[in-house]
Parts: sequence; structure tokens; C-alpha cells
Amino acid sequence: MKLDFIPHNEKIIEEMLNTIGVNTIDDLFQDIPDDIKIKKLNLSSGLSEPDLLRYLKSLSLQNKVYSYSFLGAGCYYHYIPSIVDFVISRPEFYSSYTPYQAEASQGYLQAIYEYQTIISKVTHMDIANASMYDGSTALAEAAIMATIITGKNKVILLEGIHPEYIEVVKTYCWGQEIDHKIIKENQLKNEITEDIAAVLFQSPNFFGDIENIEDMVRIIRDRSQKCLIIQVMTDPTCLGILKPPGELDIDIYVAEGQAFGISPSFGGPGLGVFTAKQKYLRKMPGRLIGKTKELYGEKTGFILTLQVREQHIRREKASSNICTNQALCSLAALIYLLSLGKTGLKEIAVQNFQKAHYLKSELIKLSGYEILNKKPTYNEFMLKCPNIEALINECKKKDLLPPLKMSKYYPKLDDVALVCVTECNSQKSIEKFIDAAKNAIENY
Amino acid sequence: MASKELLIFEKGNGKSHKNFIPKMEIEGIDIDEIIPPIYQRAQLSIPDTPEIEIVRHYINLSQKNYGVDNGIYPLGSCTMKYNPKINEITARLSGFSQIHPLQEENQGAMEVIYETSKMLGEITGMEGFTLQPAAGAHGELTGLLIMKKYFKSRNVKKSKIIVPDSAHGTNPASAKMAGFSIIELQSDKNGEVPLDQLEYAMKEKDVAGIMLTNPNTLGVFDRQIKEITRIVHENGGLCYYDGANLNPMLGICRPKDMGFDIVHLNLHKTFSTPHGGGGPGSGPVGVVNDLIPFLPKPCIIKTSEGIICKSNNEKSIGRIKAFWGNFGVIIRAYTYILALGSEGLEQVGQISVLNANYLRVLLQKKYDLPYNRICQHEFVLSDKGLPNEVVTEDIAKRILDYGIYAPTIYFPLIVNGAIMIEPTETESKNSLDNFVEVMYKIYEEAHGDPELVKKAPNNTSIGRLDAVLAARKPILHD
Repeated sequence: MKLDFIPHNEKIIEEMLNTIGVNTIDDLFQDIPDDIKIKKLNLSSGLSEPDLLRYLKSLSLQNKVYSYSFLGAGCYYHYIPSIVDFVISRPEFYSSYTPYQAEASQGYLQAIYEYQTIISKVTHMDIANASMYDGSTALAEAAIMATIITGKNKVILLEGIHPEYIEVVKTYCWGQEIDHKIIKENQLKNEITEDIAAVLFQSPNFFGDIENIEDMVRIIRDRSQKCLIIQVMTDPTCLGILKPPGELDIDIYVAEGQAFGISPSFGGPGLGVFTAKQKYLRKMPGRLIGKTKELYGEKTGFILTLQVREQHIRREKASSNICTNQALCSLAALIYLLSLGKTGLKEIAVQNFQKAHYLKSELIKLSGYEILNKKPTYNEFMLKCPNIEALINECKKKDLLPPLKMSKYYPKLDDVALVCVTECNSQKSIEKFIDAAKNAIENY
Repeated sequence: MASKELLIFEKGNGKSHKNFIPKMEIEGIDIDEIIPPIYQRAQLSIPDTPEIEIVRHYINLSQKNYGVDNGIYPLGSCTMKYNPKINEITARLSGFSQIHPLQEENQGAMEVIYETSKMLGEITGMEGFTLQPAAGAHGELTGLLIMKKYFKSRNVKKSKIIVPDSAHGTNPASAKMAGFSIIELQSDKNGEVPLDQLEYAMKEKDVAGIMLTNPNTLGVFDRQIKEITRIVHENGGLCYYDGANLNPMLGICRPKDMGFDIVHLNLHKTFSTPHGGGGPGSGPVGVVNDLIPFLPKPCIIKTSEGIICKSNNEKSIGRIKAFWGNFGVIIRAYTYILALGSEGLEQVGQISVLNANYLRVLLQKKYDLPYNRICQHEFVLSDKGLPNEVVTEDIAKRILDYGIYAPTIYFPLIVNGAIMIEPTETESKNSLDNFVEVMYKIYEEAHGDPELVKKAPNNTSIGRLDAVLAARKPILHD
């Protein structure tokens, strides 16, 4: 008993072989030298659907799903409206591919056009592409794009960028022999010179801080007219309240869009949101959907456009090698943002601010705890703990997914937790966390 | 329905909905006290739209879209096979979909990653695998960076890479992203790599190796594959296998045995995960023993304490994506491999080739087949000899009129007016026969009623679109 998706029976196979004019299926593989043909793969036998499901269920149960989460750090638990999964489960969408044949793909093309539109509205950026793989690769491609636009070969990263994103940017830069330097924000004044292609920064940053972007932009522009300013976000729901990058003179804005209606799923698939100023359009990586008209009629339709930037036409002269992207995740983000609407997105952002702020204000009342952030924060903040291991254990006991131990990325911060609170954290869960923090002092 | 022409942004009604906002139980302090007003946005212009309007809009749009669940999707080099529904169930199990990438209790997820790596290793012959890359092109970049790092570790300067003219467009683009320049090699009259020219190219200075797909984009298995990889190795190069065309090789022949050192796979092609309208995909990379140290971080290894991640590997190219790769896609592929097992996978290879050859033999009765020989998973026709100036694009558009999807067109570039057809193993004989019948009818129409074909499509929701206008005056949002 195993699953089998081949529709032919023996008789049909026989008929087809006759039509082809060969005797056996093996004859179709006559071009392959015999000495490299294999006899049999050393894999287990196939499984029937019930057996398969039972096994995978048992495997999934080895991963703990908590009632509430205080962990973020690049992947967030926000409520996902039921209609998101409903829409992306439509087989016409999910079982299609890149809409090369526009006339048979108008549904998807229009949806992605609407995605590009809604992302432009939320970010106030001139143009958005159809998607990149995730926030980290979007940032890396933005850095490369900046070197192409400016003809300069060095990028500066501010240290508040997600540490895994920094690593990805480094890898991409190494591939193209682009120089990079990681600096603190207060070093900006001294580090910006005419030979810099771009400054990359995250806000709200990995530590939770919301940067004074207007000041940063002024410092950079005062020192170089050429240098591009690239902002990244890991949780763009904050745009329900925060000033969008398009109003802050940001050249390229990228984000991890997982927070927009995509389940955590162990960190992937997510969504690379990629936006830029209009003048950089032709240097942009990734698919773009454009509006056009019928050739022999007057109806408006949608089509993949500016494909001359892309690898399948330009080959080694393309602006990027990206082909398959994260289309279905773009669709999820679109449905998420539409479901919330401006009222909902704002409300979500307000709740994230307020709930996280509430927890902060309760925690500083406890002796031994300290909030390390000096700047405003959104839904994450750094908590210095008297006994971080005890806090983690206490959280687990209360069925709370514990916050991140910062020492995972910054060994020196061995008593610091990065705590995340979203709209999904009920008052009860926040009280439980406060109890856990108390117990972590008292019982150890 | 006229309303379908509207964009969703015209369907809001100004009434605000708070359906998805949990109750605010605590007393939040005023937002201006948390975040200075100067940091706040003045307005947000996305509409408030009733749920029913959103649902109807996208259900109606979905009806203007065609997927493999609607019918044959013979897009060459894309392997549009049926996506088993069980994949969707397993990927949505809460123990997979609701877990955080940085949480500690993750042994089930780590096992999925580890076991999938092992099974892909068996399928390709490769000794080490990373599942980090998010798509095929991302896998290519990863594989090429591994190549680059390998040579660097040996203090050998290698700056060029050989890519045949039949390669997927991503190959040269990825090579450039990894900092290589490209030596393009012309295929011979059989669509294969000419050995003498390969040898000549390999003798050039600084050549890192070759990127090849086999069977190639003509659907042809290069009979001299072992000679090709030998020549590259003897000249100090490495061989990269583009796994976009692995489907027909399942259980038949393995890239490692052909002599390749690095391979990327497309889980959304060969391993049945849905193409999603253009992603998300997954592009695992496999390597031979010597290259394992260069795989991206983190590496997943099995120890006595369970499956763990190792991230202190000095020779590694570094990280190429945050977290663990497209895990949700990986589970679907894992589900598929477990479902089929060794015999099922072998059948996939066999029947994908049977189906392609069946179509080839029937279609070459009417259409030009420039490389006329037994094919593997796909084959390429051309518009040569069609009457009344009917060209490939016309054929493709007319196919849409018959309610099915068109093949890949104008690729590979080495065939003028290419029509690249890959049926996959999951198409029934009836479905294939129907496709043949449609192609025959269009052939007759090209002779008898060419305007019908040249103005196609006529039965789709919209007529042929103006691509030139779209590119000249790009309108990318409303």
C-alpha cells in the first residue's frame, strides 16, 4: 500500500510504447550509459496516506507548540485571519506557476498587481516588486543593487540589523567582492564618505530600538549625495503607526513580510518585501507586474513586465538571478492587509506598542530586572535578567514560548533576553510572564 | 461580470472592521506617550473592505487563473506535476506550521530537515546537503559560492565558468552573482556539449568548471556525460549539475554517478510541492564529500544527543538565508518522498519519459522537431515550416483558447521559435491525447484560418495583451 500518482495501467503503457515504437520503457533510456544506471534507490517503500499522516503527526508532536509566545527576533506570532489560508488554498492560485501566459493568468496577475499597490500604499514607496525570498536576501540584493546604481563598491551596515541578515549580506558581498563594514550608529558621521554605495540599517532594529531616521538620513545626505539609504524591517506591522520609509527619503526599503499573515513555519517560507524609489526601477531585482491594454481591443489587463532586467532574457547581464520567488506569500500578505484595512492595521500596531509597553513598565518594578533600551520600542525590547536561565524555565513551565537569549548572537549579552509581545498576547499571558519573572528571582 | 474588472481597492465601503483585533484587556497608555508623534505617520490609505467583498473578489480572480489542478500545464523545464493534497495537510500540522525557528523544542523539525537531506543524498548520490536555499536560482548561487570558496581555500584563482548556450537563464545570472565571468559553449548539432571545444575552453586560464543540466533543455541526455565531467576534472575544474531537469532521472541515474560535484534541486519541480504561482520554492544543494565543509551555515548533523545545528564551520561560505530555509516547502517534499518510496520515485522517472516521448512522436507528425531523437522528460518543437507567418506565440495563445495552458516558448534560445513541452508523469493518456488533438487542430487552423490563430486568444477573459506598451510606460500600481 503506497501513494501513487501515475494514472496509467499496464495496458495503456503498452499502447503508448507501441505508438512510440519501442518495446520497453528501458529503451527510452538508451542514451544513458549502462555503467551509470542504478538498480534501485536505497529508500524505504512508499506509504499509504493514513500511514503517512500518522507518522508525520507523531513527528510534528516532537515540536512543542506553546499557548503564548514571547519570542520574536525576526519571526512573529500575529493573528492570521481565516480568509488568508482560504484564498491561498484556491488550487487555481497555488497550483499555477509564474504567469508567463498572461491571458490565462489574469487572476494571479491582478492579485500581484494589487499586492504591489498595497505595499506601495503601506510603505509610501514609489514601487514594489512581486517579492523576494525573505527579508535577509532582499536586504542583500538591495545592497548589490546599490553598488550597481552608484558604481561604488562598499556598503556600511549598522549593527542593529538582525545578525542573521548581516551574515547573509556578508555572504552575498563576498560573492561579488563588495566591501562591507559594520558600525555603530554614532560612528555614521565619521564613516560616510563619497565612496560608499549604501548605508543599510534596521528600524525598529534587532534590539527593539526605533531609530531617529530623519536625523540619520540628514547625517548621511550631508556627507554624500550618492550614497543610497536602505532600510530593513523584520516586522512591518509597525507601519500601522510608524512613519513609512517613503516619507523619510529612504531609497530602498525591504522587509520580512512574514508578519503579514504568514505562519511562522519554523522560519520559512516568508516573504521578501522589496520597494524603491521610482528612479531605480530598471535596476530592481525580481518580477514586476504591470498594467496594459489588449493589443486588438480596449480592455485593461495585467502582464509580467520589464522582463529585460531578468535572467531568462538578459542572462549574465540581468539585475539579479532571481526567478521563482514567494508569490503565494505575497498573495497571503495582500489578503492579510486587506482584511485588516487601515483601521485594523493601525489597531494592531497600537496594541503591539501598548502591550509591550505595559509589560516593560511592569517588569521594571521587579528588582533585578532592567530594560536596556534607551530609545522608543515597538513590540520587542531587551530585558536584563538576574537569572535568565530561570526565567526561561519558568516560562516553559507556564506554557509560554520563552524570549530569545541574546547570547545566541551576542555572547557578551549573556544575561539579556529579547522579549516580544504582540496583539496575540492576552492580559493573562502577560501576567503569567510577570509571574515567571518573579519566580525566576524567588525560587532560585 | 463587469464587477470583476475592478480592483479590490474600489470595493471598500469606508466602514471600519475590527474582526481580527483581539480584545485589549489591559489599559494601554496613550500612544503619543510611547512613541513621539513626529515618528508617527499622518495617514494610511489602504481601504477598509467587508470580508465578503474580499472573498468574492479573489474567488472570481481565481476563476481567471489556470493551475495544474485545472488541466495539463506542459511548461517545459518547470515540471508542472500534480501536487498531492496530503502535502498541504502535513505542512499545516500545527507542530510544523506554528513553531518558531529559534525555539528549543524542535526535534521533529530537525528530523524532517535531516531525513530529507539524507534522502536527497540517496536520490542524487551526493554526500552532503543543505536545504537552506529558497529556490533553484538561490541554490545555484549557493553552489557557485561553494565552488568559489573551495578554490579560494586551495589558493587557486578561478574566475570563469563554462555555461553551454542551452542552459537555463538563471545559470549565467547566478554565475555572475557569484563573481564569475562566463564562457559560453555552443552545443553541437545533436544538442550536446562538443568535447573538443570543452577541452579547449577548459585550457583557458582560471576556469572553475562547468554548469550543466542533463538531460539538457532540449530534453536530451548527453551521451558523453562521463567524458565531459572527466575533461573538466582533469583540467582542475568542478562540475555543477542544474537539477531543474532531475525528474526523468529519478531512480534511473544519479548526478554523482555522472561525475558531478555539486547539484541543486527544485523541490517545487521534482518533488511535487506546489509552484504557488511562482513560489515559494526550495532549492537544496548537494555536494560530494570534499565540498561538505563549504556548505552554508548552519549545518544540520546527527549526534548522540539528537539532531543539532552546527554553525562554527570555518570553511563555510556563510549564511545564505535567515533561519532554516523554506521549511514549509521542505515538509511537503518530505511527505512526497515518503509517500512514493524507492519504487514510486523510479516510476516517476520512467513515466515522465514515456509521456514526453508519446507526445513527441505524435506532435512531430505536424510540427518541426529540430533535434529528432528519443527525449527524456521534455522536447522542443519549433515554428519552422508553419504557413501564413504563424509563429510560436500565436500557437501558444491559441492553445489557451482550448482551455489548457501553453508550453514554455522561445526557450531554449538555441531553437528559433522554440515550443518546449514537458507533460510530466501525472498526465493521463486521455489528457495527452487531448493536447495532441488541440495541437493538430491549431495546425489545421494555421493553414485554413490563420487570422484566428494570429489574433488568439479569443476565448479567454482578456485578449492578447500589449507587452510593449507595458514596458514602455510601466504602470506598476494604482
